[in-house]
Amino acid sequence: MAEKKSTTKKTESKKDTKKVAPVKQEVKKQAAAPAAKPKAEEAPAKSPIDNLAKAEDARIGVFICHCGTNIAGSMDIEAVQEAAKTFPHVAYVDNYKYMCSMPGQTVIHKAIKDHKLTGVVVAACTPRLHEPTFRTATKDGGLNPFRFEMANIRDQNSWVHMHDREGSTDKAKDAIRIAVAKAALLQDLHPKAVPVEKAAMVVGAGVAGMQAALDLAAAGIKTYLIEKDMSIGGRMSQLDKTFPTLDCSQCILTPKMVDVGRSPNIELMTWSEVHEVEGYIGNFDVTIRKKARGVMTPKEAEAKGIVGGGCNGCGDCEGVCPVIKPNEFEIGMKPRKAIYVNHPQVVPLIYTIDFTSCVKCGLCVTACGPEKRAIDLEMKDEFVKVKVGTAILATGYDIFPIENKQEWGYKRYENVISSLEFERLICASGPTGGHLVRPSDGETPKRVGFVLCAGSRDNTGTGKPYCSRFCCMYSLKHAHQIIEKIPGCVPYIFYMDIRSFGKMYEEFYYRIQDEGAKFIRGRVANIIEDKATKNLHVMADDTLLDRPIDMEVDMVVLAAAIQPAADTNRTRKLFGVSCSSDGWLLEAHPKLNPCGTTTAGVFLAGVCQGPKDIPDTVASAEGAASAASIPIHMGEVELEPYFASCIPEKCAGCGMCVNLCPYSALSLVEKDGRTVMQVTEAKCKGCGTCGGFCPGGAIWMNHFTTPQIVAQIDAFLLGGEQ
Amino acid sequence: MARTKGYPEALEKKLHEQRFFREDSNPEFSKKVKTLSRTIPHMCYQCGTCTGSCPSAPRSTYRIRKFMRRVVLGLENEALTDPDLWLCTTCYSCSDRCPRDILPTDVIMTMRNLAFQRDIIPVNFLKTVTAIYASGHGVPNNDVNRAARERLGLTRDPPTTHMYPEYMPAIRKIIDHYKLKANADRIIKEREG
Repeated sequence: MAEKKSTTKKTESKKDTKKVAPVKQEVKKQAAAPAAKPKAEEAPAKSPIDNLAKAEDARIGVFICHCGTNIAGSMDIEAVQEAAKTFPHVAYVDNYKYMCSMPGQTVIHKAIKDHKLTGVVVAACTPRLHEPTFRTATKDGGLNPFRFEMANIRDQNSWVHMHDREGSTDKAKDAIRIAVAKAALLQDLHPKAVPVEKAAMVVGAGVAGMQAALDLAAAGIKTYLIEKDMSIGGRMSQLDKTFPTLDCSQCILTPKMVDVGRSPNIELMTWSEVHEVEGYIGNFDVTIRKKARGVMTPKEAEAKGIVGGGCNGCGDCEGVCPVIKPNEFEIGMKPRKAIYVNHPQVVPLIYTIDFTSCVKCGLCVTACGPEKRAIDLEMKDEFVKVKVGTAILATGYDIFPIENKQEWGYKRYENVISSLEFERLICASGPTGGHLVRPSDGETPKRVGFVLCAGSRDNTGTGKPYCSRFCCMYSLKHAHQIIEKIPGCVPYIFYMDIRSFGKMYEEFYYRIQDEGAKFIRGRVANIIEDKATKNLHVMADDTLLDRPIDMEVDMVVLAAAIQPAADTNRTRKLFGVSCSSDGWLLEAHPKLNPCGTTTAGVFLAGVCQGPKDIPDTVASAEGAASAASIPIHMGEVELEPYFASCIPEKCAGCGMCVNLCPYSALSLVEKDGRTVMQVTEAKCKGCGTCGGFCPGGAIWMNHFTTPQIVAQIDAFLLGGEQ
Repeated sequence: MARTKGYPEALEKKLHEQRFFREDSNPEFSKKVKTLSRTIPHMCYQCGTCTGSCPSAPRSTYRIRKFMRRVVLGLENEALTDPDLWLCTTCYSCSDRCPRDILPTDVIMTMRNLAFQRDIIPVNFLKTVTAIYASGHGVPNNDVNRAARERLGLTRDPPTTHMYPEYMPAIRKIIDHYKLKANADRIIKEREG
């Protein structure tokens, strides 16, 4: 009892404060949606605390949803309804089969008007699913939409207590009692509209990033395309052909790369990384690190007053450079110099110096000559700040380090290669000019083993538990390529399941089997090298023949699993995007919002969200571009009004909260001769860190105020007595 | 034998045994093996990594993958009466490599225990029991070994029950607690007279 008294007292003291402590609430812009306009005009002069509903005047309507049998099948709706009628402040209770349906919403509007309700509680599914629906219904009934509170009696009740009717009924009563207690104290809140910068950023210029940037640019949006490598094209530019059409990968990619380079709306920044991100949807301030390239583009040269200078891609520098290193683009199978380009078709055609291996001999500077003067061996990293409204992450993937699965001998046996190495070896512009050869002796293989699910579908902790999704199909394509290029060469494909799920994929599988590929249904147990011939013995179980196999082949190609690109984790943290346990970036909803993230204004494209083949990657990129262009075309976005407010009279100006805020939304300002805290509302995410900490109780968390939360706790612990 | 083609009974039986009928499977068997083996045999996706890794498979008819399949489907009689059950060398290669992180070796050991409950066991395994009961070793030391050990600068007998026979009563106590020796003697007598 004593406890209850004190909390009640606290509630009252808060209410007193609000009268003497009007919090300045500036409305930067009159609310965006026309419907919200009249309300927004009422708001300005008032403190958010002024219109706090007084519990004693509250008239709450409770609406219980059956959700078909999802809820009604596991609890006694009648009993819940009868109990709800007895709760304090409850003026009306109703139930309906589907509260979210149009008739269900009409029940809410009508009750608000007929029973002069001041707050609405819907006991149904989750706020994530239907809070927007019921807020709209509340608004349509003539109340402020934030006078709505949800009680989750489905996902956290009927679904988990499906076989405990009595228990779930009791739990539903509690959930509703708690929601009613909060609803009685809800205030009118008014979302703020902030203008959206008419620019976007795309991080990663593989096929996903390029497609997203091209779409945004075509929609008239200035787009910054950031790529950490020296040239664009990503993984797709490393591939020889694409399944199932057998298009040359470079041939279909190059026009897009050229378009990206030429589009007036795309500002391409290669050899660059996102360094820092500040702000929120509509107003992201992004700092980009332009890594020292050592070579100036014609534009950069002109900016430095070297007219007609800058790199023209002639390659004179490369010819004289004395340093030789393995070319990463060719997976180390071809040499490069310290000043180099990845391959002849790069966009942009600008050389780059690898400063970790450059000896600064200066030969390239001389070779470049006095006209171009493109090379600057003393170049330093530069930081560029840009402002964008929305951002798309398209950070792609890396190949799983397949040597970790030691039984297959990658990096131990010369003739065991990865699928990406196969792509380079079979590619006409690759290190062997398109001749597939054994690394051990340069001979043409006559029998090639393909190991599918190499590291995928693996629950041992060494590999990846997921299906990498495109290995089956590219291995079929590899089989086709060796049959086509090497007469008499037989591909042996060791598989568990062939997943040919896409359009024309199953037909492609049929075609490759018809061409003579041999399919062996069994995962490869281990590979043993013949020390003399360097041939490989593939050990497996032909599960269909029920006989163990020892298959001697000349070469083995491991269809290695994929994993998120190396820098993904750092980049996602900058943008506040979550990832799932396997490292892929987390979409807002796997089915209904696959391109969005839980951070407003940040979207995902391509494989960074999960393994995808090229058609799915491009589709996802177009989806992300469309989603990212919406706020920009709207011109402004509404922010949830859950921000913190400072009560200056109580604030001691200690500044502890300023350091705690994870969003840098708080600052100390001089006000009437005192130092007090001030909230930048647009930056505040309403996380409550400051409010929970403030030693003086000077921070008011809108929509999650101390009186509201205390009332909820009281309702639960003390059965709703006030 | 609901489905019949009117063949002589022996032929009907043979036909029946070549097919898999729902009533052949005992779901309780799958659950029991899962509990006793402390691994997850029901998660097997039949990739064959186990048989491919198995040193016994190329030399015999033993197919560990097939035993895993029988556990998944609850084919109790088929699994426990198959003499191949006793061909596992317990090298644990399959358990090392299983991509589903199952321990097939432990599943085999569990099924051997269940088979033994029904007196299904080859006599040579029981003779091993007798040997352990007598000396503490399944394969006791012999003169060839002793000579080899001496050449390597080791003691003639290893520091086990061979060197410390005073520990034998404790080993016999454990074996007797599970009535292993008594059962072994009984079965050997039944089979060999």
